[in-house]
Amino acid sequence: MSEEAGAEVLVEHAGKSFGRIGALDDVSLHMDRGEAIAITGRSGSGKSTLLGLIGGLERPDRGKVLIDGRPVWLDRHPAQARRELVGFVFQRHLLLAALSARANVEVPLIGAGVHRAERRRRALALLEEVGLADRAEHLPSELSGGESQRVAVARALVNEPRLLLADEPTGALDSVTSERVLDLLFRLRDRLGMTLAVVSYDPDVAKRADRTLTLIDGRIGDTGEAGIAQA
Amino acid sequence: MFTIIQTNLRRRLARTLFTASGIAVGVATIVALLSFTQGLKDTAAGFVHLGGSDLGVFQANVSDPTASILPESLVARLDATPEVSRATPLLLVTEALKADPSAIVFGAQPSGFFSQGLVLLRGARPQGQEVLIGDRLAASLHLRPGGVLRVDGHPFGIAGIYHSGVLFEDSGAVLSIEDARTLTSRPGEVTDIVVELAAGTRASSAARKIERSFPGTQVITDPDQALRAGANSTLISKAILVIVVIALIVGAISVANTMAMSILERQGELGLLSTVGWSPVRVASLILGEGVAVSTLGAAGGLLLGVIGGGLLVHALGVSAYVSPAITAWGLGRGLLVGVAIGVLGGIYPAWRVTRMTPLRALSNA
Ligand SMILES: Nc1ncnc2c1ncn2[C@@H]1O[C@H](COP(=O)(O)OP(=O)(O)OP(=O)(O)O)[C@@H](O)[C@H]1O
Ligand SMILES: [Mg+2]
Repeated sequence: MSEEAGAEVLVEHAGKSFGRIGALDDVSLHMDRGEAIAITGRSGSGKSTLLGLIGGLERPDRGKVLIDGRPVWLDRHPAQARRELVGFVFQRHLLLAALSARANVEVPLIGAGVHRAERRRRALALLEEVGLADRAEHLPSELSGGESQRVAVARALVNEPRLLLADEPTGALDSVTSERVLDLLFRLRDRLGMTLAVVSYDPDVAKRADRTLTLIDGRIGDTGEAGIAQA
Repeated sequence: MFTIIQTNLRRRLARTLFTASGIAVGVATIVALLSFTQGLKDTAAGFVHLGGSDLGVFQANVSDPTASILPESLVARLDATPEVSRATPLLLVTEALKADPSAIVFGAQPSGFFSQGLVLLRGARPQGQEVLIGDRLAASLHLRPGGVLRVDGHPFGIAGIYHSGVLFEDSGAVLSIEDARTLTSRPGEVTDIVVELAAGTRASSAARKIERSFPGTQVITDPDQALRAGANSTLISKAILVIVVIALIVGAISVANTMAMSILERQGELGLLSTVGWSPVRVASLILGEGVAVSTLGAAGGLLLGVIGGGLLVHALGVSAYVSPAITAWGLGRGLLVGVAIGVLGGIYPAWRVTRMTPLRALSNA
């Protein structure tokens, strides 16, 4: 797919505090369309907060966050931006226990008011894509951790996002399963061309990403190309 | 969205049912009391139109219409009023039947329109020391013409059985006003005077005229007025208001509690909905919808319970002879409204809380 499928992300001098805790301080970042970056850093260094700012889950106290040149927080409600542009994957799959795998994948589309038949069609296509077509009507309790996480990936993609944000997507999985989920994420990125940011401690993620960004106490430390990290 | 609400409630079935039952009890109380007051109102309507009359003249400011006392001389003066076509006195004897203390015995002039208007189903008009009994009383006490009814201990022969369509006429008995006077030892007094108006006279204007001409009287033309004349029923309607308010508060608190608990448990889930772009309004309406669904479920159960409870209430109060609970669509509607209001009130706070949760925090707390 074309480069156009990916969003351009610009973070300018963004800062975020929670009461006395400064989570992020003067962070600037540019992501090209279709670029994949890995974000690492110690616990509490602000990785999740940065991802939240980019995806419109958190409002910056200072600075700006622009997706394709438009501020996420200014001209429309961030829920709309999330609905239209962004897909999220978290460490925990956060599937709704009462809903089947297919219904879980449909959830973002319910929020967007997409018609039932169309929701179903798109959800089934994505479950096929993540290799779970035969598990569509199973409940989360009937799926393994890795399978659940693949359903979560399908759910993140169902709104055809141009920006995919993953916060420790393999943090709860064993190494073999992690490998499969990462394969899936990067394969989908290659095929669909969306911009991708993955928070992870996993060196495998850094290897697959175009570059790695390290956060140290809410600031951006050294950035490196994937090739350099590999060497 | 409806499926999500439904599955969420089913997942916490026990909790849903407990909350719903609490609401059901509240709604049932309301419905039962409303059907009871509606029954009272129907009874009062019967009181106003005793013997098919247009209005009833009572003593002013009595606690209960049956406690009214008027001089018999008033009858002739009323009769002489141009608006009045016919007037006939009634002397009510209460608690006169041992077997059915709530039945009312009417002392009426045998020649008056009250007695003449009674349609006999069986037997004949009374002669001497005899009574006519209503068909409901006859059925409940298994009485028939030729039998004996003891009124205040005195035996009366049963001459016949009538049906008038007014609940407590049919649950009572009619004897001559002279006999009633002997029983109550109230010479020269009557309880009330029922009046048929001259053709073309409006009840309300006639009522005003009569009250002006005969100070100390109160003319009752509509059931509400009759209800107000009885202090008991005023108390009951006030009590109902209090109970409705209490049911609303208690119900809303219990729904709020249930929903608040459920949103705490589901922070991750709700944070996720918000993350995937559900608008705050939509997430809030999910919570509100769950609250309303629980309380509507409770209200539906409450309507059923209330209909049953209305009948039990009448029996418990021992007034089944003159009040039969009347279930009206509006009575049920109000029960349902209260139920839904409980859900909305109880859901508002948790729903508002949900819109204040930042998705990321919710996700990390989950
Ligand atoms: N909603 C919040 N309220 C208060 N403090 C917060 C909130 N979110 C984050 N913080 C604080 O901000 C700092 C950065 O948090 P963040 O979650 O971004 O770190 P992280 O790099 O993702 O850590 P981890 O690797 O443990 O997930 C931490 O000190 C955290 O306690
Ligand atoms: Mg984190």
